[in-house]
Amino acid sequence: MATQQADVMADTTQTRSQQPARRAWSRRLTRPTRNGLLFVSPWLLGFLLFFAYPFFATIFYSFTDFDGTGTPKWIGLTNYSNLFHDHLFWVSLYNTGFYTFFELPLSTLAALGLAMLLNMDVKGRAIYRTIFYIPSIVPIVASCMVFVWMFNPATGIVNSLLNDVNITGPGWFFSIFWSKPSLILLGLWGVGQPMVIYLAGLQSIPAELYEVAAIDGAGAWHRFRKITLPMLSPVILFNVILQLVACFSYFTQAQVIENANPGGPGTSTWFYVQYLYEQAFAFLKLGYSSAMGFFLFVISAVVMVALFKTSNRWVYYASEG
Amino acid sequence: MEAPTRHKLISGAGKHTVLLATAVVLGFPLVWMVLSSLKSNFQALAVPPVWIPHPVQWDNYPQMLSAVPFYRYVLNTLMYAAITIVGVCISSSLVAYGFSRISWRGRDFLFKVMVSTLLIPFFATLIPLFVMYKRFHMVGWYWPLIVPTFFGSSIFSTFLLRQFFMTIPQSVSDAARIDGANEFTIYSRVILPMAKPAMATVILFQFVYCWNDYLGPLVYISNQKWYPLTLGLGQILGTYTTNWPWVMAAATAATAPIIILFFFTQRTFIHGIAIQGTGDKG
Repeated sequence: MATQQADVMADTTQTRSQQPARRAWSRRLTRPTRNGLLFVSPWLLGFLLFFAYPFFATIFYSFTDFDGTGTPKWIGLTNYSNLFHDHLFWVSLYNTGFYTFFELPLSTLAALGLAMLLNMDVKGRAIYRTIFYIPSIVPIVASCMVFVWMFNPATGIVNSLLNDVNITGPGWFFSIFWSKPSLILLGLWGVGQPMVIYLAGLQSIPAELYEVAAIDGAGAWHRFRKITLPMLSPVILFNVILQLVACFSYFTQAQVIENANPGGPGTSTWFYVQYLYEQAFAFLKLGYSSAMGFFLFVISAVVMVALFKTSNRWVYYASEG
Repeated sequence: MEAPTRHKLISGAGKHTVLLATAVVLGFPLVWMVLSSLKSNFQALAVPPVWIPHPVQWDNYPQMLSAVPFYRYVLNTLMYAAITIVGVCISSSLVAYGFSRISWRGRDFLFKVMVSTLLIPFFATLIPLFVMYKRFHMVGWYWPLIVPTFFGSSIFSTFLLRQFFMTIPQSVSDAARIDGANEFTIYSRVILPMAKPAMATVILFQFVYCWNDYLGPLVYISNQKWYPLTLGLGQILGTYTTNWPWVMAAATAATAPIIILFFFTQRTFIHGIAIQGTGDKG
């Protein structure tokens, strides 16, 4: 009780004056640190136990032969050399890269485009916003169900409508060529989250900027290039990062749709983390799948670092400039 | 500005056309889902397609819901959501407090560490986590999905609460300190009561997260008795592809609650996402 009193005293003096007393000084430095650490300790413990440990354990397992029950047997780089000779590994890596390469720019454009539509000064904006946003909260499994049904090559509504305009619809999720584009369409349907973030970003751009530009005679495209894009660039970076993380771990949609489509369109929708998952939980090759996990980390780290390094060229922070 | 009214009207109509067309495209899958769920199997497969179900097959719903333990799945999901909401609310608010209301050495560094863990792929740490949970006999039930939430695993929640806490003036805490309150009292008696709207957002997001979570249960839940809705749906999709109205009825039944929830909490929802994305616009 007494020490608590003293601590409170120390805290209050801290805010009031710069008292140079040695005791107060040392307390001022340590007590908030102790309190701060105490408050964040749940996360700190969780970080060490559920993140740092498994992260390093993944690296360790990747050099071992391990089935999950015995002791991991050290085999050096064997997993990695097997990996690089594994055809399915490259296929799954290619599929994931393909998906990311198209989904990332397309979803950014779609989300930004929708946000700009919603930012227009028209009646009923709130209703449109609701309709545009809702697909993103539909449970992923349910949206997979709806898309597989709508895009069913023989009985789906999409090909039926295409047929009305004399287009023979493709096999969509059943086609080796169209299966990944179908998944991309499914992804584009659910861009509500980045859309809302872009919309908030757009609405925080000061209207004066546009007014001044309009007086200067800047056209719509010019205003977009010179005001909207730079002002929005931090938000774009944020969304691109989140989208990248999601693309690297693209799993659920492909897995769910494959279940409905046994045999599926060959290996054309076999994604990296699905392969990792299968190696671990179907074949119990935990060492091998850990090598895949660590390799995924390396790839995503390289991409992220590259993104951050180049971001200072195109991301504009208003507060700094 | 001095544009004639007629010009404005036309561009207004043009805007509406674009918005309406987009709304039709984006809204169509859900409309089609509901329509399909009310058709007979024969109608659903008819060529050319039947748009409006006739007669309306309401029976698809009770039939579907009794063909699989649908309510059991829903209960499992609700339980999963309820427990993790408790975990997230306790741990994320504590951690967010430590990262915002107290200034201490190393705080900003640790905060950066926390946020950067978001960038690490989930699968890069999955294997050892699974082995660890298995050793602790936690695999098979929701333990591996619950326990971390009590240790600040929901970084978005922590981030969101931190953003909110930072908007509360420091003088509020100072006043409580002068009254002799210690840090925990300030947290629980002063800051938390002020943070109700932010907590509501966190609860909402955690609920939606659990309602949608497929991967977590897929890894850890093996007994069908404990399947959450998502795994149940996945199984329905794998089993009933010969009866699409049933599949659509299941999809509708899984989607409707979340959309109804959204309609009642729209502001909280949209605002919460905007805070995450645009940082300090709390």
